Amino acid sequence: MLQQWEQKMKAKTSRMKILDLTINNVQHKVLVHPHDTLNKALRETIGLTGTKTGCEQGSCGACSVLVDGKAVQSCIYPALKCQGKRITTIEGVAQKGRLHVLQEKFVNKGAIQCGYCTPGMVMTALSFLDKNPSPSLLEIKEALSGNLCRCTGYKKIIEAVAEYVQESGTRISGLVKGVNKENSASANHLMVGQGRPYLEASKKVKGEAEYADDIRVKNALTCQFLRSVYPHARIISIDTTAAEKLHGVRAVITGKELPIKFGVLPISQDETAIAIEKTRYVGEIVAAVAADNEKIAKAACQLIKIEYEVLHPFLEMEESLEDVGDHEQIHSHSKFNNNIHKKAELRFGNQREGLSNADLTSRVEFDFKGINHAFTEPHAATAWWDEDGLTIITATQVPHYLHRYLAKVLEVPMNRVRVIKPYLGGGFGGKSDPFPHEMIVAHLSRKLGRPVRVRLNREEVFLTNHGRHPTKMTMEMGVSKDGMLEVLDADIVIDGGAYGSFGVVTSYYNGVLLQAPYKIDNFGFRARRVYTNKPQSGAMRGHGAVNPRYAVETIIDRLAEQINMDPCELRFKNFLDKNTKTVGEFRITSNGSVECLKAVMNQSGWVENFGKLPEGHGFGVACGFFISGSALPIHWNEYPQSVVHLKVDMDGRVLITSGASDIGQGSDTMLAIVVAEVLGLSMDNIAVVSADTLLTPIDLGSYSSRVTFMAGNAAKMAAENLRDVVLKAVALNHEVTDSALSISHERIQSEDGSVDISWHDAIEIATRKVGALNVTGYYNSPKLGGDFKGAGAGLSPSYSFGAVIAEVKVDTSSGQVIVENIWGAHDVGKAINPLAVEGQLEGSWHMGLGQALSEQMLYRNGLLVNSNMLDYKIPTTLDTSNIHSNIIETIDPEGPFGAKECGEGALHPVIPAVANAIYDAIGVRVTSLPINPEEILKAIKSNKTETVA
Amino acid sequence: MIAEEIYLQPSTVEEALEMAMLQKGDFTFIAGGTDVMANRYQGNENAPCLIDLTGISVLKGVSISNDYLHIGALEKLDDLQHFHDILDEFPALIEAAQSVGSPLIRNAATLGGNILCENRCLFYNQSEWWRESIGYCLKCDGDICIATQGKKACFSELVSDTAPALISMDAELELAETTGHRRVILEDIYTGDGVYPRNLDKLTIVKAILLPLNREFKTVFKKLRQRKSLEFTSLTSAVTVDNTGKLKIALSGVDPKAVVVAGTVDDDKEALIKKAIKGARAIDNDMYSRKYRRDMIKVFLHQSFEELSI
Repeated sequence: MLQQWEQKMKAKTSRMKILDLTINNVQHKVLVHPHDTLNKALRETIGLTGTKTGCEQGSCGACSVLVDGKAVQSCIYPALKCQGKRITTIEGVAQKGRLHVLQEKFVNKGAIQCGYCTPGMVMTALSFLDKNPSPSLLEIKEALSGNLCRCTGYKKIIEAVAEYVQESGTRISGLVKGVNKENSASANHLMVGQGRPYLEASKKVKGEAEYADDIRVKNALTCQFLRSVYPHARIISIDTTAAEKLHGVRAVITGKELPIKFGVLPISQDETAIAIEKTRYVGEIVAAVAADNEKIAKAACQLIKIEYEVLHPFLEMEESLEDVGDHEQIHSHSKFNNNIHKKAELRFGNQREGLSNADLTSRVEFDFKGINHAFTEPHAATAWWDEDGLTIITATQVPHYLHRYLAKVLEVPMNRVRVIKPYLGGGFGGKSDPFPHEMIVAHLSRKLGRPVRVRLNREEVFLTNHGRHPTKMTMEMGVSKDGMLEVLDADIVIDGGAYGSFGVVTSYYNGVLLQAPYKIDNFGFRARRVYTNKPQSGAMRGHGAVNPRYAVETIIDRLAEQINMDPCELRFKNFLDKNTKTVGEFRITSNGSVECLKAVMNQSGWVENFGKLPEGHGFGVACGFFISGSALPIHWNEYPQSVVHLKVDMDGRVLITSGASDIGQGSDTMLAIVVAEVLGLSMDNIAVVSADTLLTPIDLGSYSSRVTFMAGNAAKMAAENLRDVVLKAVALNHEVTDSALSISHERIQSEDGSVDISWHDAIEIATRKVGALNVTGYYNSPKLGGDFKGAGAGLSPSYSFGAVIAEVKVDTSSGQVIVENIWGAHDVGKAINPLAVEGQLEGSWHMGLGQALSEQMLYRNGLLVNSNMLDYKIPTTLDTSNIHSNIIETIDPEGPFGAKECGEGALHPVIPAVANAIYDAIGVRVTSLPINPEEILKAIKSNKTETVA
Repeated sequence: MIAEEIYLQPSTVEEALEMAMLQKGDFTFIAGGTDVMANRYQGNENAPCLIDLTGISVLKGVSISNDYLHIGALEKLDDLQHFHDILDEFPALIEAAQSVGSPLIRNAATLGGNILCENRCLFYNQSEWWRESIGYCLKCDGDICIATQGKKACFSELVSDTAPALISMDAELELAETTGHRRVILEDIYTGDGVYPRNLDKLTIVKAILLPLNREFKTVFKKLRQRKSLEFTSLTSAVTVDNTGKLKIALSGVDPKAVVVAGTVDDDKEALIKKAIKGARAIDNDMYSRKYRRDMIKVFLHQSFEELSI
């Protein structure tokens, strides 16, 4: 066997071919293996990493390049096919550093968020426009329908292409453009409230931004994993002998080398980097290999022999609720002899009384499939050790937590660990845990004294999961005849998969995040998270509250119908006020619920359409709310949750350093705007360094929609501190009082005009004696909430609110649902960068459409069946409705310039709005997600009003 | 001894067949590569030798001879729309071609490749590790069909979208084999066995797709898929009538082969539909259920008859 492998490897490496390629008008002679793909040749051999790798199976478009002017997917294009052909990659689009006009449009329209799909999107658009320079809107959408984007909802990408086309003289009709903004009070601001592209947008559109797998560290080894083929099995023995002997293999490791448990929550330290005694899901890592290249590492994995003793697998959440009897539990630490991980229960008021007082009640069972973040960039990391200890460059939303757990697992102090987040191709919660692959490459690189890199393939990304929990729940609500909500009771079970992740938080969020936006005094829930032998669930955009929000909003729709009241009116009657408290003592400050709902009602023509459209055509509405960061940190301590440093010296440029992770949502740009606003500077005098645990001060990371509120406030405080220092120095120098000075347009002036100096002169004065100025700002949430057990869950210094109206058409012959329009409004407090805010909202609505209509994680015997971008169905451009965006500004009293979250909360109402619209269209209630045309058809045929998949 | 990787680029059909013969069966012809390369990535196609046919100019171009339109097998799906003869006489073929995959796929994939596209199954088009985990199926040297959890036959689906359109218009193929050239009826190449879905000898090159002229075809083409792009079919139907009242239904996505029902416009439509549904041995190996896809056959055919006013 081993000899065979040796021969195979030798043969495979012996006959390489020389390939003549003309890439971006440069001649290359490239040595390739005969079956290498063009993608590999471009990225690995030539080093043109602007071309991305997303799925490796021609299903996402991230790798698109032009071959003789036509866009093709380089991941399924043989390199040798390109002999003598003309290749254009994203690096060849801008000329002499000047962006192509189409690239400029991408930048200026805000079509770039994480930027990972951008190169492929640009190449596809260029190829198409070359063929069809004056397309219609539909033709543009069709042309881009093979390129998946997970951030933007495509709206701004389509706008960018359309505007490019229009400037060449072709009129494009039907384009839903721009955004409505209400209550904007930006008159006093120079920077805040002005939409602007991300700082790094040009770099991303040119393919120059480096993502984790684009960064090549000298002399690095490649790591591959062997994964369990059983959902629940005891590992009897592992024989790595043959693998170790393979030429080019540097190390083969098993779980016993990394025995220390970790998990993002201190209360859920239940995972090891590699399975030790047993495996708990199909796909769990059981051994890892570091080798000279990927091929050898993969071959070595296949030579590892593992003997398993198969254990009874727990694959359904119902079974995991029960006593396991003689079977072995998934985790021995479960409290009783079952697989329940966490039970969260809170009750307020008197639900029994509420139910009996209600004139009408509705009790419904729901079933939601799990879904995955499906970010376009697969996980990747490179680790090495030097005089500073460990450095790891990795695609993470949470450098700080990874920093902590690398130190823990590798048993080194935190001062020997450095985590660097490069540009990141989307997260949505899927990169917000410390991951086994990060621990493993860190360990292997220490063991071998060489850098070790890893990139997961798409199947591994799906197996790593941490996506939205599959959920089953029963919810009951009651209403009085005059439309007042009397009671809400929910019993919720969520499927956590094999490990804890954020699950304890998810369990609480499933319940506590139902106590707004409506006032419900008799409110309670029980949520149980169970372990099952499946890839673990975790946090995903809208964390914990998306599925129960669906239940609430669709039940409200039922109750409204039962009391014969417009569902919008019922909502207006029950909205919580501004500056109030919820029944569970959440402090509500700003609250734009009413404004949001009014905006979408007016824009959509709700009154004229709801209930009045012909069979098969309907309108539906729903609302939602979300936290702006968790008030309580994951690790209980007195540390601020965000810290921002500013440094300025003789060149006058202010360097912002922050641990906040820009994952494509634009937080670096947000920090720059906040600091520039306070200091009256232009962007030329600002630079941002973020998410490097050695260089940047602590920030807890990008999750729970906390960054704008918390890091934004820290940046504002830091900038105000710097302003005070500079003004004091200038005042002293000019012998005026500092309160008489103001700072704006890069000048420091006094009211009486006696002082009028440039920023640079002011800095020269302020740094004369000290050389440089360093200031700090920080943010810590105020003390909030009640003093009962569980009171901390869902507390936030501020909450966002939103509403969506959806218009659907249902084909009654096939049950297929088409969402024609989404009118969405979200109360973001204040849009610091409206262009970025629109992008966040549109992306949220798009992601919600995916969960509503097509996305699910499908299992067979615990094995994930659709772990690729073909069968996991993210909506394409053609599947995405028109999106009409409304930014509602309520100026939050504590947010930076009044801002609060905008990255997650908008998702909640879109799914129930679609379901309610389906009811309006065909009278069928959908109680399971994704909405299944087959079930719709069945319900239509049998005149049923319920449908459960 | 395991053979080394080879990539060959012949410039004539004869050269290609010669190269193929020298590989003793251990090769795969490749054109656009969109199907072969994705299958190779998953380890479902492992031939050490790839013979790239795209340099053979005789396999390109569209011409007319003997009342047939000859479409070179290497014509790319996206390029078909630029040929007036196709656009005028066989617009359904363009519609079918434009429904394949995504624009990026259609920029590389060829018409010949699409009709020879490997059969698919949710439980087969998976990685090597995945197939090992679930237990190898019939199509990858296992003992039983995983999708049906035990049957001894393979039901991987024909997923070509152009094949049903072509078959409904009585398309034929011009083949080059080591023994010479021959013509076959397109639907006859599909065996109905998911493991060996085509009866063509390995040493066969599809030279051209032939469509009969002067039949004044009217075709309704439909494709069931979850998204409007980037999808293999869950059910493709093409219903064609010609100027003599001949009617032909062809389906893909619901059986290892194309389901074909021929008749006339005067036939009892319900009987035709019944026959089509009966012929479709669909199983639960798609993101849509077997039942739904079979139900949709009826819906598609009804709609097609209606649109054809027959």
